[in-house]
Amino acid sequence: MASKFSIAGGIPERKVRPIWDAIDSRQFKNALKHVTALLAKYPNSPYTLSLKALVVERMGKLDEAFSVAVNAKELLYANDSMLMDDLTLSTLQIVFQRLDHLDLATECYEHACSKFPGNLELMMGLFNCYVREYSFVKQQQTAIKMYKLVGEERFLLWAVCSIQLQVLCGGGENKLLFLAEGLLKKHVASHSLHDPEALMIYISILERQGKFGDAMEILSGNLGSLLMIEVDKLRMQGRLLAQGCDYTAAADIFHKILELCPDDWEGFLHFLGCLLEDDSIWCDEAFDDPVHPPKFVNCEVSHLTEEEFDSQISIASACVQKLLADTVNNLIRCPYLATIEIERRKHMRGRRNDENVMDGIVQYFCRFGHLGCFISDVEMFVEVLTADLRTELLEKLMKARDTLSAPPIKALGLSISFFKVKQLLLGNMSTSCAKDLEASCVQMFEMYCTNLPLSKDLDPQEGTHGEELLSMTSSILVQLFWRTKNVGYLFEAVMVLEFGLAIRRYVSQYKILLLHLYSHCGALSVAHEWYKSLDVKNILMESILHHMLPQMLVSPLWTELSYLLKDYLKFMDDHFRESADLTFLAYRHRNYSKVIEFVQFKDRLQRSSQYLVARVEASILQLKQSANNIEEEEAVLQDLGCGIYFLELSEEVGSKSLTFNEDLQSRPWWTPTSEKNYLLGPFEGISYYPKEILLKDKEASLKRVIEKKSLLPRMIYLSIQSASVAIKEHAEINGSFTPDITTELKLLLERYAQFLNLSLSEAIQVVMGFANEERSPVVSDSNLIDWLNFTVFLNAWSLSSDEFVNPDGNGCRPRIWNILDSLLEKYTLEKIRSIGPQLCSPWSGIELLIQLVTEPLAWHGLVIQSCLRSCFPSGKKKKKSGSVYQSGSNLVHAITDSVVHLSHVLEDVMKWICEWMTKPEDENLENIFHLLNKDGLNNDGPGKVFRTLETFISSVNDAEFGDHISPPLKSWSPADVARKMMSGKLNTLMEFSAICDSKMKFLQSMKQQIAQL
Amino acid sequence: MTTIRRFCCNDLLRFSSVNLDHLTETFNMSFYMTYLARWPDYFHVAEGPGNKIMGYIMGKVEGQGESWHGHVTAVTVAPEYRRQQLAKKLMNLLEEISDNVDKAFFVDLFVRASNAPAIKMYDKLGYVVYRRVLRYYSGEEDGLDMRKALSRDVEKKSIIPLKRPVTPDELEYD
Repeated sequence: MASKFSIAGGIPERKVRPIWDAIDSRQFKNALKHVTALLAKYPNSPYTLSLKALVVERMGKLDEAFSVAVNAKELLYANDSMLMDDLTLSTLQIVFQRLDHLDLATECYEHACSKFPGNLELMMGLFNCYVREYSFVKQQQTAIKMYKLVGEERFLLWAVCSIQLQVLCGGGENKLLFLAEGLLKKHVASHSLHDPEALMIYISILERQGKFGDAMEILSGNLGSLLMIEVDKLRMQGRLLAQGCDYTAAADIFHKILELCPDDWEGFLHFLGCLLEDDSIWCDEAFDDPVHPPKFVNCEVSHLTEEEFDSQISIASACVQKLLADTVNNLIRCPYLATIEIERRKHMRGRRNDENVMDGIVQYFCRFGHLGCFISDVEMFVEVLTADLRTELLEKLMKARDTLSAPPIKALGLSISFFKVKQLLLGNMSTSCAKDLEASCVQMFEMYCTNLPLSKDLDPQEGTHGEELLSMTSSILVQLFWRTKNVGYLFEAVMVLEFGLAIRRYVSQYKILLLHLYSHCGALSVAHEWYKSLDVKNILMESILHHMLPQMLVSPLWTELSYLLKDYLKFMDDHFRESADLTFLAYRHRNYSKVIEFVQFKDRLQRSSQYLVARVEASILQLKQSANNIEEEEAVLQDLGCGIYFLELSEEVGSKSLTFNEDLQSRPWWTPTSEKNYLLGPFEGISYYPKEILLKDKEASLKRVIEKKSLLPRMIYLSIQSASVAIKEHAEINGSFTPDITTELKLLLERYAQFLNLSLSEAIQVVMGFANEERSPVVSDSNLIDWLNFTVFLNAWSLSSDEFVNPDGNGCRPRIWNILDSLLEKYTLEKIRSIGPQLCSPWSGIELLIQLVTEPLAWHGLVIQSCLRSCFPSGKKKKKSGSVYQSGSNLVHAITDSVVHLSHVLEDVMKWICEWMTKPEDENLENIFHLLNKDGLNNDGPGKVFRTLETFISSVNDAEFGDHISPPLKSWSPADVARKMMSGKLNTLMEFSAICDSKMKFLQSMKQQIAQL
Repeated sequence: MTTIRRFCCNDLLRFSSVNLDHLTETFNMSFYMTYLARWPDYFHVAEGPGNKIMGYIMGKVEGQGESWHGHVTAVTVAPEYRRQQLAKKLMNLLEEISDNVDKAFFVDLFVRASNAPAIKMYDKLGYVVYRRVLRYYSGEEDGLDMRKALSRDVEKKSIIPLKRPVTPDELEYD
């Protein structure tokens, strides 16, 4: 038997080698030549055919590849005496996988395994197929067969992992774990275990069943020696003991961890938690989102008696004191922070000793205040202090700072931490007056400038000392803008950050802040440039894309948006495709815990909310881009299965549990999520530091958005169809076709109306009410686009629906059409009138305008195109009849009207954009600088930091700042920044203008077509 | 204040504050996952209070005979947590595992010849420049192959510097 598998399909290796070489060097034509030659000799060899399939697939001939591969598969099946080797099968597997036909690859292996039941290599291939298909049960069965065959530990563990996956990801019942446990127990009794990862899986199987004692016993026995990293083993032991409520023993274990790693903060928290018999830290871990762990420590008020509590606290304190005494390394922070945590727990218990908490923080400040992480370390302890105590603490810290003498870099660090702690303690910036805030900004900025020489010898790739000062300055300037609505502060914030980036090109914190500021001002192209400079790629897209994507989705920068979406979707889809192979790699290398992790991670990414949004939006973008040409649009729709794929998504999404993988910590305080922008609303004086954001709250609303948007492709498709039968005599043309379209469109309209919180008839009533120039209270900026889209689709539906013929005895079809036209006109004009051509005008209004033109107006344009196309049937002259539109001329009239209307609307928009463009650049710049220098020297309002900046630049000398810092300082020009900002906004508007222009042209061509009617 | 534990997939969604640093490469998924699947003990992350990711190290163990060695593929620390010797801690851990668990002869790493701050740091940690690799980075910049001998290499043979630079094709491993 063995010889059967040594040669690929009986073909000598030397004949096959050139083909593989050509494939590896991507010379597919050459490879095909070799394959063709080989096929002449071995026409019925499945291996040769598989190779051909592989080559033609790589050449992009997917259909041919598929049929060749199927042919190979059939030959493999047909001939019983045919050699069946893993090389043929794996080649065929690659082809089927690339063609998205994993099932066929699996069938091949299943067939092979049934033919040669004892062949381990084939069984491993089959197991791999099931791994690719995420068929956990079949994986398990195959692994057990292999285990029975050769009795190897690894195959048992493959089976055990497959069982665990059924429970964790496949909806399998927990009792399956008992089966896994039994298998392991039996194996251990006869063969013991040899892989540390096998032991880890064994422990986790027991842990999941709550058998902590059993797990502990195994870990403490001989098998425990498999774990080579002592701390890892201790952590497992501590966790098991704590979960088994053996807190005393657990505390001892964590104590040992602290002796080994005195800086292990988590170890200390577990130690303290066990002493106080608080299991919340373990419980929460199971439920919490591992990607967004809580910022603060999970703990409960201890249930111990007073005496017990005191005694346990004194044990904790003694341990910490010992750690402190033993600490020789002055960078170990844990024991110092631990003393504050002990005070916090006492505080929670009602043993309030504010002095101790404050002293702990002050001491921590004296020791570690110069470190960048000081604030994030102490943040949670400040929470327990009342407002008065916070003020008192601030005074204490100030005193401490003044008495500390430190070398300049350390002193700078202390000052930065002091500024930050001041903001943290005072929290609500509204308590300070604007003047104080301005003064504080100037002070921070001056501090940055004064300390710049400290960085003169640093490598240009390293950050400067004190670079946080600029982010902090700009943050307060934004706060001042929110408070005063004086846009000068925003420009000032931009200047400060741009200045910082001129000195050091790589500070990502500045770039993120800037991209949000530019986006807020509408200078989207500049925002996008800064985003690109962050080099966000691969998995970072999942956590960072939220900084840019939402505003791009409603922008006219379609090319850039298209790249953003494509890159992101490609990354995700590639991962989904390759993830199973990497899982198999973990199986092969016996890293079983990673097997579980990989499958769970892939599942997490597949349920990513951002991924779903991007998928829907990528299609909608294509539809927007092609909307001026109905044939192109139909081709796009065809690729989307006429909108069916997304319709299915719309139906499924409600029951899905979405994941949110965005890193929101890096967002500026004023826009803590992409849905929230405090600056658009009135000043609320919220806390400077963003509060913890519950992402789960987002889930329901986001699901609704996805559900709604996923309807669009299908509704657009049906609207086009519906409009085309408005002219054609639908009864004559296709008796069953039209009613299907009409009924389905009506159903979707009903669903769409639900997103407007109304029934279909109520929504229709609202639309009809617009005819009387009524302003409906149910329409607002937040749902305007939805209303307009609804009206577009309603109009399209009315064209083919009999239900709409005579509801008021008068026929309302033309009326809806008229209503729609005037609605589009009215809201467009309203928007452009409300937004003057000033630099500081709010961008959100323009976003709405862009959406209006690129969505409802575009979809309506498609309906018109569809109607018009039906007026020009290919070949014969159209015979119009009154079944739908009482007369063709009625419809032609509506079309003509509509085209004229829409042309006017677009003309107005373009005129409005033109007003922006025609303003001389100098005037724009002057306006910006005027905002910064409005009232001369003794002014209130923005400009103080900016003037400090200007003075600083003018006084720069080379010797003080060195070769790296001095040149960019000298060449930096505020006017360039202002120009960039202005042109960023204008470029974005120009893109919008180009979209309007192309729509104008297409309306123009329609006018000409109408004239021929 | 550091809890050092094994890196897991979810950390990929949490390490943006570290990876937005321009000198820290964000690799493709199969790269990270291959390391996790093959050398999970060489991929560690440091977490601070508030569950913040402070930095991480990824590496592997490979080679034949006396070339059996630990390799540092990446070590990086978020700006907020710099100047606390965290990179040293992470490097020591990888060295310890290479030395005690895998009984490797040495640990090596590659660094851009222009990355003076990093070279200085590795030098302090006991690494010496073993050889220069010409145009190692994207065919443009030279790389330095730095090594540190472990206890198994009693005579410290593995770190005797080569007299001439090598080209990337001459490297034994990727």
